[in-house]
Amino acid sequence: MIHIEGVAKRFGSNTILDGIDLRIAPGEVVSILGPSGSGKSTLIRCINGLEKLDGGSISVDGHRVDDPKQLQLVRRCSGTVFQLFNLYPHMTALQNVTLAPIEVLKTPRAQAEQEGRELLASVGLGERADTYPAQLSGGQRQRVGICRALAMKPRYLLLDEVTSALDPEMTGEVLAILARLARSGTTMLFVTHEIAFAREISDRIVFLDGGRLLADLPAAQFFAADGGLAQPRIAQFLSKMSK
Amino acid sequence: MRYTDFSYHDIVLLLQGLGVSVALFAATTLIGLVIGLAWATLRYYRVPLLAPLAALLAELLKNSPVLVQLFLVFFGLPVLLEMDLTPVQAALITLSGNTAAFIYVIAVSAIESVGRDQLETARVFGLSRWQTLRRIVMPQAAAFALGPLAGLLVNQLQVTSLISVIGVVDLTKVGAILNLRTLKPFIVWTVIGLLYYLMARLIAAACARVEARLRAHRQWKGL
Amino acid sequence: MLSGECSLQFDLTSLTPYFGDLAAGARLTAFACALALAGSLILGILVALMRTAASTKAQRVANVYVDVFRNVPFIVQLFFLFYGLPEIGIELSALATGVLALSLAGGAFTSDAIRAGILAIEPGVLEAAQVSGLPRVAIYRRIVLPIALRSAVRPLGSVFVNLILTSSILSAITLNELTGSAKIVAADTFQPFEVYALLLVLYAVLTWLVSLAAGALHRRLNRNQL
Repeated sequence: MIHIEGVAKRFGSNTILDGIDLRIAPGEVVSILGPSGSGKSTLIRCINGLEKLDGGSISVDGHRVDDPKQLQLVRRCSGTVFQLFNLYPHMTALQNVTLAPIEVLKTPRAQAEQEGRELLASVGLGERADTYPAQLSGGQRQRVGICRALAMKPRYLLLDEVTSALDPEMTGEVLAILARLARSGTTMLFVTHEIAFAREISDRIVFLDGGRLLADLPAAQFFAADGGLAQPRIAQFLSKMSK
Repeated sequence: MRYTDFSYHDIVLLLQGLGVSVALFAATTLIGLVIGLAWATLRYYRVPLLAPLAALLAELLKNSPVLVQLFLVFFGLPVLLEMDLTPVQAALITLSGNTAAFIYVIAVSAIESVGRDQLETARVFGLSRWQTLRRIVMPQAAAFALGPLAGLLVNQLQVTSLISVIGVVDLTKVGAILNLRTLKPFIVWTVIGLLYYLMARLIAAACARVEARLRAHRQWKGL
Repeated sequence: MLSGECSLQFDLTSLTPYFGDLAAGARLTAFACALALAGSLILGILVALMRTAASTKAQRVANVYVDVFRNVPFIVQLFFLFYGLPEIGIELSALATGVLALSLAGGAFTSDAIRAGILAIEPGVLEAAQVSGLPRVAIYRRIVLPIALRSAVRPLGSVFVNLILTSSILSAITLNELTGSAKIVAADTFQPFEVYALLLVLYAVLTWLVSLAAGALHRRLNRNQL
């Protein structure tokens, strides 16, 4: 269970997050929607400890992110996939995937490599396990990024606009993999601009605007005229995005 | 007071040594600047034979130890040309040449930093090579070269310490003299090091001020 | 200026019996420089990590070290160690003192190159390492240093070139490396011009080879990048 309570975050004089309350239960698939600059990515970065909180608290399975030792435990049980992939450039795809299991979980190398190859094969990169990121396309790199996060067998998967840097063709292949993961029962927290995708796979949809949470509804209700669309800001946003 | 103690006269000695170091540094920097810029101009005009020769000489001087260059000039030239050279003369010749080589490299890269499109535009407008050099290339190249130049100056100041090895009574040589007499190496060499350090910082600060002033002139000051 | 006749002779052949001595000197230079390179790298990595650390105290100490060794002439540093260390009871050979001095000075410059390499790492890559739960030591060992060193190969090559040129100053503390040997040969043969001219070319060729090697190493290490 991820508990987000009264979270506030400021950059200088700008308030990016203004009192966010959110709960994510194991097995849920939650999408965070909202205009650019609404604080969506910042929220994810607060959960995995890349940003420090200015107010409120976040705890993941009882571990608080503002305590360095507990933060390490949070990071072990969660995986993050980034918009710009952030693969280790000096390592092959397989090495990218096996680094954390070997160093953090102390998995024996042979076992880690076998599991890594299986993971990569499951996303269609079985033959590319020993190539370097520079030799992979954007979509392939993101698939490696997903495998790298999954290799740690995380309880929670944080995905920060993972298809925003991809062209439509590659976006499709990555979304297909994510849909499969969502159906398999992995807890996932998406920040995304892919409205149709969010609608299809999410259990809940959260709408952020100007650092405030404007809606937290089950997916179907969010897109209903008497639910999410009843809020003018949300209606305006959705109509713009569907153009 | 024993002979091996420090005395007030030693301060005079230090200042004299400092003066020699600074004077040689200043002189060789100026001469080196002139020679190095001349070589760079040769390259700009693509003068046959002389330009590649200058380039080769610069490469040689850049990639060999200054100490060996000093020995070559101080011990070698007199034998070759059957003439006498004082240590100071040898130091002047060597350090000027060495500085020139580095000035050449900085100048060439600074000139090259001015985009080719500007040179072509100037040509189309009918400017002569000299006019292009003077009005378009030099101002921009000078601004570009200031950073590397500051670094070079600090480096060449350190290099002057080597002239002590061929007998010039510069700051380092004074240190050697004091060290031999007082047998207090920690004090002597720390003081010498401190003096060099302060001079280096002074040069760096002066260069920074020049750079700031140059930049201020080129800033858009608004309407 | 020229007095009397000008006998511009350049006779290298009379130096042939001395090539052995020069070769021995060259071997000593190579040995000393190799040791100093190792020393500089270790020190440089340490100092670079300190300069990019979160702790401002570590940064300050490291910056003072670099500042001092960049603004004091090498020969002064060398004399400080050569004459000073015996005073506090540390008796080192001329070679050991020379290698120590070269390592200390070289460390300041290698730390520049490595620090630049560290700062050039994409922050996102470091973030990915952090959120995967990797402990700090592992991040430095498996991510930061391998990437930084790869991109620092060329600048490190030019630091090594500098080291080789600076090693000639070790002749001033009676070490018979290449320059020291050349001094003896010049004195024996009364042909200082030929000897030192040859030496000049030898050093230039040696440093050129080192630059080539650095370039080749850079290309090899980065062959899997675009």
